[in-house]
Amino acid sequence: MAEVRKRRGRIQIRLDADERAALLMIVEQLAPSLGQVRRTVPVAYDDPEFQAEYDRWVRPDIERSREADLDVIRDCIGSGEDVTVLTEEQALAWARGLNLLRITAGGIMGVEEDGWEQQADDALRSSPEFRVLLALGLIQEELIAVLEG
Amino acid sequence: MAPATSQPPAPAETPIETPAGSEHPVRDPGWDVLVWNDPITLMSYVVLVFRRLFGYDFETATKLMLQVHHEGKAVVATQPREQAEVSVSRLHGFGLQATMGRG
Repeated sequence: MAEVRKRRGRIQIRLDADERAALLMIVEQLAPSLGQVRRTVPVAYDDPEFQAEYDRWVRPDIERSREADLDVIRDCIGSGEDVTVLTEEQALAWARGLNLLRITAGGIMGVEEDGWEQQADDALRSSPEFRVLLALGLIQEELIAVLEG
Repeated sequence: MAPATSQPPAPAETPIETPAGSEHPVRDPGWDVLVWNDPITLMSYVVLVFRRLFGYDFETATKLMLQVHHEGKAVVATQPREQAEVSVSRLHGFGLQATMGRG
């Protein structure tokens, strides 16, 4: 199972070959939906004119940074190594990227309310998106614990 | 509502103009940076983001996160417009639902 730990000040993430293959598939399947799922659209203003300016001048940078975060994940899992050492900034990129993937998966599932994990019926629990949400959440929790540690 | 402690270093009010004949400048009351609840985003991640972006201590960041969770939203900073927009864009970069409005 995926594991994140800090050893001698270095953040290490351990993913076996099956986990890396599964994660890469998740990234490539969800990446096209970034910016399409409602909660991944950056909305800053109620005012349409201000928002239009934000879309023009700020949103492209946000989208580039999100893509860069996913590239950090792709590079890591594409390395072919079970254990990869991450800088703190790379670990943050992982945390951001995993969050984005989870929001996207949740949007596709139609999750709108807190408590969705407890309220999920058997059909939802057996869906690929539900399992993706839980699996990515576990890795993200480990990353956060290390970053906050 | 802006947090009372561990505020970002920016002033909450910025003078923007001084009408003729007035002793006191008219002040921009600032823009509230709001974060909205999201059912998917992990609570621990929200705390991490508040600490990293705004420099809040763990207790303040947790209090704000719980306000977002229970009340649906929280004002996490009140800043001049340009700075508020930078804060919102950075929150968007972290994947949080954030907006800004005049305080």
